[in-house]
Amino acid sequence: MTEPRGQMKSSNATSSAVMELQSASGQSNFRRVSRTEDSSPYPIPGLAADILHMRVKEGSKIRNLLRFATARMQGEGKDSNGTLLRQVVFTGSGRGVTKTITCVEILKRKVGGLHQVSKLYYKTVKEVWESQQPGAPGITMQRTVPAICILLSKDPLDPQETGYQPPPNPKCSHRGRRESVCSQLPSP
Amino acid sequence: MTEPRSPGMSSIQTAPVHADSTPPAVEMDPVEYTLRKRLPRKLPKRRNDVYVNMKTDFRAQLARCQKLLEGGGHREICVHGLGLAINRAINIALQLQASSQGALQLAANTSTVELVDDLEPEDPDEAGEPMTRTRNNSAIHIKVFYPDPQGP
Repeated sequence: MTEPRGQMKSSNATSSAVMELQSASGQSNFRRVSRTEDSSPYPIPGLAADILHMRVKEGSKIRNLLRFATARMQGEGKDSNGTLLRQVVFTGSGRGVTKTITCVEILKRKVGGLHQVSKLYYKTVKEVWESQQPGAPGITMQRTVPAICILLSKDPLDPQETGYQPPPNPKCSHRGRRESVCSQLPSP
Repeated sequence: MTEPRSPGMSSIQTAPVHADSTPPAVEMDPVEYTLRKRLPRKLPKRRNDVYVNMKTDFRAQLARCQKLLEGGGHREICVHGLGLAINRAINIALQLQASSQGALQLAANTSTVELVDDLEPEDPDEAGEPMTRTRNNSAIHIKVFYPDPQGP
């Protein structure tokens, strides 16, 4: 955990030095060439490799994500392969974290009886910046962003796992249904 | 608006609602309303509960958590965040964990919080009636704790 941040610090230092050089000449001549996220394994142990993985981004539409996920979980649309999924995992990072949680909360109310495990972690994003002046070297930056990974399962999960939440009791889910009606009210 | 704030006032014009799919049960005439956001429902507060907000300085809130765990002698604290403050709550929890060299563990739970808005007619002569509107917002509750040495 400390190692990537150390790297980030050093690369930040170099980049700020170069930025100063650039601003001295009156322009910032850097362009982001690529942005790669590390493809780290799921922080939740014991997940199948072919599990449905919903990657929630900052600009993702909740209705699109949920339409897809509920169809695979509940089979309303009777999709082609016909098998209903027992588990789904949602991940999101940075400003997408809030949206991820909102998706999970709505899906839990819609499907009902879902067991949940949530994990928090830092995600490393590698950015390559390229100078637009010919001959000047590019910069590689490593940034860490907070991220969340949530597993929803129809089958019971290990209650000893940190971040485990049992499904809400039926009384609550009834209240949840009323809430969801309320949330359909138009907003200004 | 995703973050809770003190019941400030903001003037809005309630334009006629889209007349397409929504049922006309909550049809509103274009009277001026004042939207007042009530504070979130008061939640239980123990000594080791920290409610994170977006107004207080980040470092101050982080320092407060560190003080509770190190000086305050608590084995576990609970960091709560609502709406926009979810990100900050996660950040605080991860920072605490990183600075403890792996001694601290995190257990995150998510929930939905019901929030109430008051709609008050701007002009008392108009026929507009005071209304309330309920909406939901997501929340996170992170338990930051030293795991028991004798196992779970």
